[in-house]
Amino acid sequence: MRQILAAAAGLAVLAASACSTPTPPRSAAPSATPTGPATLPAPTGAHPVGTTALYLKDTSRPDPWNLDVDARELKVTLWYPAKQRDGERAPYMTPKESELAMRRYGIAGVPHDTLSKTRTNAIKDAEPTGRKLPLVVLSPGFTNPMSTLTSLAEDLASRGYVVAGIDHTYESYATTFPDGRVAECLACDSDTDPGFGTGVVAGRAADVSFVLDQLPSKWDGSDRIDRSQIAMVGQSIGGASAMAAMVKDSRVRAGIDMDGTTYARIPKSGFSRPFMFLGSPQHVPGGRDTSWDRDWKLLTGWKRWVVLSGAEHQSFTDGPLMAGAFGITPAYGVLPAARAAELTRTYVAAFLDQHLKSRRQPLLDKPSSRYPEVKFCPAGCGQS
Amino acid sequence: MTVIRTVAAGLALLLAAACTAPAPPRSESRTAGSTACSQRQGRPGAETATTIDVIEQAYFCILGNYYSGATLDARSLLTAAFAALTQELNRNGRDVPEATMPALTGDRKADWTAFETVYRKIADRAPDLRDKLAIVTLEAMVAALGDNHAAWAHDVKRHPDYYDGDGYGLGLQANVNGPQVEGNPGVAVPPLFVTTVQGGAAQAAGLRPGDIIESINGSAPFIDGQATPAIKALYPQYPQARPVRLRLLRQSTGRRWSVTLKPGLYQRDLAALQVVQSKLLDDSIAYVRMRGFAPDSADRVFKAISRLRTGRTLTGVVLDLRGNGGGSPLEATRLVSAFVHGKATAYLCTVDNKCETLRTDDTVELLNLPLVALTDRSCASACEHVSAAVKDLRIGQLVGTRTAGVISGPAQGYLLRNNTMLGFPARHHLGPNREVIDRIGVPPDHYVPLTPKDAAAGRDPALAKALTLLQK
Repeated sequence: MRQILAAAAGLAVLAASACSTPTPPRSAAPSATPTGPATLPAPTGAHPVGTTALYLKDTSRPDPWNLDVDARELKVTLWYPAKQRDGERAPYMTPKESELAMRRYGIAGVPHDTLSKTRTNAIKDAEPTGRKLPLVVLSPGFTNPMSTLTSLAEDLASRGYVVAGIDHTYESYATTFPDGRVAECLACDSDTDPGFGTGVVAGRAADVSFVLDQLPSKWDGSDRIDRSQIAMVGQSIGGASAMAAMVKDSRVRAGIDMDGTTYARIPKSGFSRPFMFLGSPQHVPGGRDTSWDRDWKLLTGWKRWVVLSGAEHQSFTDGPLMAGAFGITPAYGVLPAARAAELTRTYVAAFLDQHLKSRRQPLLDKPSSRYPEVKFCPAGCGQS
Repeated sequence: MTVIRTVAAGLALLLAAACTAPAPPRSESRTAGSTACSQRQGRPGAETATTIDVIEQAYFCILGNYYSGATLDARSLLTAAFAALTQELNRNGRDVPEATMPALTGDRKADWTAFETVYRKIADRAPDLRDKLAIVTLEAMVAALGDNHAAWAHDVKRHPDYYDGDGYGLGLQANVNGPQVEGNPGVAVPPLFVTTVQGGAAQAAGLRPGDIIESINGSAPFIDGQATPAIKALYPQYPQARPVRLRLLRQSTGRRWSVTLKPGLYQRDLAALQVVQSKLLDDSIAYVRMRGFAPDSADRVFKAISRLRTGRTLTGVVLDLRGNGGGSPLEATRLVSAFVHGKATAYLCTVDNKCETLRTDDTVELLNLPLVALTDRSCASACEHVSAAVKDLRIGQLVGTRTAGVISGPAQGYLLRNNTMLGFPARHHLGPNREVIDRIGVPPDHYVPLTPKDAAAGRDPALAKALTLLQK
């Protein structure tokens, strides 16, 4: 992990996890003048977006990382369609979280609170609206706080989804609890252990099931959720966790893994719920990470394996959007940040619209001239 | 397992680590001394065929960067390589009249040119053997260094159905394993017996710890007390899949029988794979097992001890290093630093005896606790660095058996042009008293070997001895 972070000077912004990253990012030169805090792209859907945080405690199991804690505490961030557009924008993260994350990402030369000043679109604690809304669980990459998927979360909420993003405690550089405690990355100590990834996704699957159990009683907007329409999307080990959660919990009807090496055992008898692999060119069939090839054979239902030319491991997160704020010039040939966000939002939403809203999406059937970067594997993508 | 097995072979830098993006241990990044090959940066691309050009690159890479590269007689590498090449031709029934060793002069470049010329002629006569010949030639050149931290990693494949944490093989571990099989085989002593049943075919066949392995594929594991190459068949690596026949003896019942075990993937207990594991023994002794010197592992040991110390007075620490295949020298030094300050834990010396002193990191808080370290013949590399420091610096006692003697020096990885990795040390390791540990190992203060009866009964006499020592 930190070896990859050592390469972080030239890092394509947010750090990559050893556990799910096929390659360290191509180096980018930290040469540009920092532009000041980033502004997340505007959501593309029709609805204003609200956000709020829930703090849940699972007393039925001990924390897997902090051996002195006999319960699993989780922070869940919700994004949802809101009634009104005005109000206070929610902070991206706290200044302390920004400092901890930036230090671990190896970002220097800009103020420590730069990430916390990122301008978001969601209104803090806005009143929710809508009914029979499908639910999307989001899970970030290892070491990444949940906020690193805010651009995607806000966009999905604007399109009429309730999004529940989970900060898997101690698996991220910083998670703040209401009493002010900041949980740091205890899991990082053991991330080179054999079987580490397998353990993480099993723990995350349990986190997801607990959140699904708790949501109705812990959020007063939850009666707006159609609990028969639940999907999960994650980046890196969060994507691997989508697979793990679906195998364990049949409430999760569909899933997307964004560039994550997978770890959960799919039953040999196969697995028929819809699943999409959405990856960088490191994740082509026959590539170095063989986990998608292994799983692909066992997916018996609707499935897609989509690779974005020019994408990097963090292209599916807010990471590239922060390059300017960090004074980093993206490497030549890498998918530009705005385009990466657009492609991620578009294809994730298309998948969810098709499988949770039953709206057929021709975009998912074949390559599109509007999005020439998108290759459909295994047939339509050569090994890079 | 990959990590452990890798470092067990003394190659902390080669192959892949637990997750999917391994990187060299922090301590081992230094600039390459030659342009023939570059130090590993990030993740290499897909491997391509090994050619004479790759062998040439490896030859000059070794001469430019290896510990004794500047002074060794390069003819020894070429001669060993050529011998292996001719043996391979013979094995394939394809000897070639032109396959005679060219005259060598001692001029490294001219000698290479002469070698290459003959090599090309031979390879042209046996085009279907081209890949095989190149591989045995390069392997032999590396083996000629006689260095247990020198290796060439190529064609490393994983089973397509592999999941993180899975094992591959027969599903058993015997008392002769890891470095005793590959790195320093002369140290193994009979009898050969099962110590752990991990899963897979061994579990399905009902093998148990303590079962004595009398023969492997019909061959004796020991002849006149000397280990034979047959033992290697206990540890097949993917894609090796040929079934292995064992004749077994269970001493407790006198039963003698044979089983045929097919190598395959098997699931392992994730908790048992954690690099650092700890528990409290006898209400006052911190027992910490360390399977390798992975990044952060020393800090994990300190955290574990600190946790066990909370709310109670500890009287000692048992550090179980058995089976620890090594890893980062930095972590080794850090671990020692919790027991002593202001000392040299080891020296890394060039061939002309310029040595770097690996000093204790005196920012690490001293534990001020009596220490017993458990060692065995599979404690290799960084594990021996620690064992030698424990003994020489008198910070604790060693219990068990002598360490592996597989600690030539920390390996550095070099990327060859076909994306295979060549690894070897630039400097050799000496203990705190400037003694050679490589091939010799570190002897225990208290010799407590494991017997088949102990293994069968689940007894751990070395641990029992350690507890006795700490309770005095």
